Amino acid sequence: MNKMTHCLLRALWPLVLASLATTSLAADAAAVPAPDAPADEAAAAPAATVPAPDAGAGTRSLDEQIQGLKKDVIDLNKDLFMLEEELLFPANTQVAVFVSMDVGDFFALDSITLKIDNHDVGNYLYTPREVSALLKGGVQRLYVGNLKAGEHELVAFFNGKGPHERDYRRAANVRFEKGVGAKYLELKITDHERAQQPEFEIKDWE
Amino acid sequence: MPITLIAACTLYLAGALSAAAAATAPTGLVSQPAPDFALPAAGGSNVRLSEYLGQPVLLSFWSSRCSLCAAQLAALDRFYATYRSSGLVVLGVSVEDDPQRALDYAHAHKTSFPLLLDRAKSVSRAFAIERLPTTVLIDRSGIVRYLHGDDRAGDPSYVAQIRALLDDRVGTP
Repeated sequence: MNKMTHCLLRALWPLVLASLATTSLAADAAAVPAPDAPADEAAAAPAATVPAPDAGAGTRSLDEQIQGLKKDVIDLNKDLFMLEEELLFPANTQVAVFVSMDVGDFFALDSITLKIDNHDVGNYLYTPREVSALLKGGVQRLYVGNLKAGEHELVAFFNGKGPHERDYRRAANVRFEKGVGAKYLELKITDHERAQQPEFEIKDWE
Repeated sequence: MPITLIAACTLYLAGALSAAAAATAPTGLVSQPAPDFALPAAGGSNVRLSEYLGQPVLLSFWSSRCSLCAAQLAALDRFYATYRSSGLVVLGVSVEDDPQRALDYAHAHKTSFPLLLDRAKSVSRAFAIERLPTTVLIDRSGIVRYLHGDDRAGDPSYVAQIRALLDDRVGTP
């Protein structure tokens, strides 16, 4: 979770907890008899300790309220995330780089370093779980940033183990034109069966 | 005579201050979310802290130059052997200028938990490590609960804190 969303959620949590506490207190107050209740009502109190038929319904209602609150928090988090994305990376300057991997027999990915216009913009280390997710067809957003309109160059360095467990480092580059809309680029790692080597390609999503 | 007395007092005060500093653990990150990181392990693969959300994590910062770190790592290895099946994760993070030296040390002091190499020292900076060994205990929801700037991993209080983190199911997703 990003920092801004995290801060907002932290600020909202007391409200959620206060709301839950109020609901819980209201439920408790309904269960406890009033201190100045008449004696005959107090005598009838033991009968109330027997589970009432709608006690289950009350619990269910409380549970539904909690689930509702949880859903509201998740929705709020999603909205805040989208708002943050729109504010930080407006569509007219946005550049995003994605990573995908296919087969992976000839290359075990360890890390990717990204450079845009000769500036380091990202270095990502991959854990075995992340590599496994990529091999299952997952696509990772490796980088999102802002670039002004015009021509730019992206260079990606792929580090890992190549054929025969040898250390392998390859670079791929692409020159691209950043226009008015958002620009999406994909780093594709595939196996070249005939050459028995991995292949690194940068695809421009028009 | 007065000069000797002043010098002795100064030395005593300096000693007392450094002892007080050593006894006080850095507490800046306690109750805060632990900074996420990914580091290569001496064994080969990479490790990312956020992948252990839902499990209590013990981070131990060490260096080959730290004379107390070997005993600390050995004590943590014993903890790991005991509590691994209960879900405890132990990660050793090297704070070393020379990566090869760290690698040699990691190979010489084999542990059953991963020893990670923080070559850029970015993780030790993020956790504001001031002395070695330092141990950080992170709960199941990724919040730093305890920070120890000492080598008393054999102390019963460590066991109590680890057990408290293992018993705490609040942060389980």
